[in-house]
Amino acid sequence: MTFLSDVWYVAWRELVVFVRTPVRIIMTVIQPLIWLGLMGNMMQGMMRGPGLDQILGTSNYLTFMTPGIILMTVLFGGAFSGMSIVWDRRTGYLEKLLAAPISRAAIPFGKAFAASVQAGVQILIIAAIALALGVHFATGVLGLVVILLIAMCFSLILSSLSLCLAARIKSPETLMAVVNFLTMPLMFASTALFPKEAMPGWLATVATYNPVTYAVNAIRHLTVSGWNWLAIASSLGILAGLTIAVLTLSRFLFQRATAE
Amino acid sequence: MTAAIQIEELVKVYKGGIRAVDKVSLEVEEQEIFGFLGPNGAGKSTTIKCVIGLLRPTAGRILIGGTDARQNPKLVKRMIGYASQETAIDDRLSGWQNLSLQGRFFHLTRKEIAKRGEEVLHLCGLWERRNDSAGTYSGGMLKRLDIAAALIHQPRVLFLDEPTLGLDVQTRKVIWEYIQKLRTEQRMTIFLTTHYMEEADVLCNRLGIIDRGKIMAIGAPGALKAQIGGDIISARFVAPDERVSVLVKAISALPETASVTAMGEGLQRIVARQRGDQLIPEVFALAARSEVSVESIRLHRPSLDDVYLHFTGREMRDEQGSREDTRKTRMTQRRMRR
Repeated sequence: MTFLSDVWYVAWRELVVFVRTPVRIIMTVIQPLIWLGLMGNMMQGMMRGPGLDQILGTSNYLTFMTPGIILMTVLFGGAFSGMSIVWDRRTGYLEKLLAAPISRAAIPFGKAFAASVQAGVQILIIAAIALALGVHFATGVLGLVVILLIAMCFSLILSSLSLCLAARIKSPETLMAVVNFLTMPLMFASTALFPKEAMPGWLATVATYNPVTYAVNAIRHLTVSGWNWLAIASSLGILAGLTIAVLTLSRFLFQRATAE
Repeated sequence: MTAAIQIEELVKVYKGGIRAVDKVSLEVEEQEIFGFLGPNGAGKSTTIKCVIGLLRPTAGRILIGGTDARQNPKLVKRMIGYASQETAIDDRLSGWQNLSLQGRFFHLTRKEIAKRGEEVLHLCGLWERRNDSAGTYSGGMLKRLDIAAALIHQPRVLFLDEPTLGLDVQTRKVIWEYIQKLRTEQRMTIFLTTHYMEEADVLCNRLGIIDRGKIMAIGAPGALKAQIGGDIISARFVAPDERVSVLVKAISALPETASVTAMGEGLQRIVARQRGDQLIPEVFALAARSEVSVESIRLHRPSLDDVYLHFTGREMRDEQGSREDTRKTRMTQRRMRR
């Protein structure tokens, strides 16, 4: 119980700050709006051709793209949560946390949890925008709940990974560089924005094993086609496994991190 | 009665092989303000970080109120309060939020936080400002809030790492009074580090002088000053080197002289056995005899600077810390000056 309370209060600090910073919330709305409104419509025009319905599974590119945008927002949001550790280290707050009798694992867990809650809020906003732009979610409200679950789980993975990096990387510049280096290929070598059928062979192979693909496929099934239990269960299983693995790693790193 | 803090033969060797702390032993009694005086990079912060469990000591023992810090880290953490030199207050939260969050990290209940939080906020004089964002606080207020937060769980011992780093003179005095009050009114035992001589002199009951990881001297500021002898005369002679060295030899031979040290640029530091005012005429007489002109001469009581010089053989200058440390210090200073 104390552990959960430790995690909660680490997260609470992040969430209070998130709520207090309206600019950040506005930006989380604007960014997907630009992607959906601009990119979506542009690609809609470009991707017109016979047989495309089969590849995309829908005649509406926006519907195809919405899961990708959801994942992208989660990916970039989560990937930078390590910055808060770098910053806390610099202001001395990390030291304060480590000097307190809380479990050290509560530090990455709490921050990852906060990132995941923020991701949840962002997804709801994106879903609302998508609905307003005419995207139809095939599985309705219940499907949206599952989408939320998958995306938040994915956010836990990404933010924990980023926090793991920050356990070792002390300068914000280096962390930014490493995170950018990792997120870009993760994003574009996946089926988030383009169907696998439209990729060259090697990229399709990379995309097959990319964790982003697993998350996006499940969400896409829920958005485009409906309850494909096998696909949803398998990606949920893989994401859950990854979540546990990354959380365990972050626990290990933070227990050692500053006690050298 | 067991000492509040007992450090025995503490050694910390960093990965690169740097011996930051080398066999440091000391005891701090209950309700004492003990100061660790030394330049940046002398091993002050490393010692504190070993005590509060942020670093794992290479060797040695640390006891807080008789409890071993390495065997019972969680117990010891509850017994100590720590305010780092960076003043770890989250600017984006209010004073009260900072405080209650700290209480939560020490597993206090809501009730305990409400009660104790009010006490410490009155103590540091920030009760009226508790709901304002910490971003609006001045440097001194931030420091007071940070120390108050370190007190929320009623620790037995308070560790302050450079409590007045980056603060201006007036604010520094306010913090000193505040720390004194903690000792007299709250019966706290306080262990602080500083590289300000004045701070060590005014604030501390006892001092440990640390240089390159080793303790060079321990004692009350007055006792340490008494140890180096009587008054100090700083004189600057102008003459060719050989004539000056003849003069210095003559001065050293005087029965009232304890020692003469060349400080460079013609400056000589003459330590008198007792009263320096009686030595000055003799110095002039000898100078005239060796045809050396005296450019300037100054008599003063030994200060902690002299104590430091006496025990370490050099003046206190900052060692170079890592780049990240320097950046941190600079950031703290900028923050505290607002």
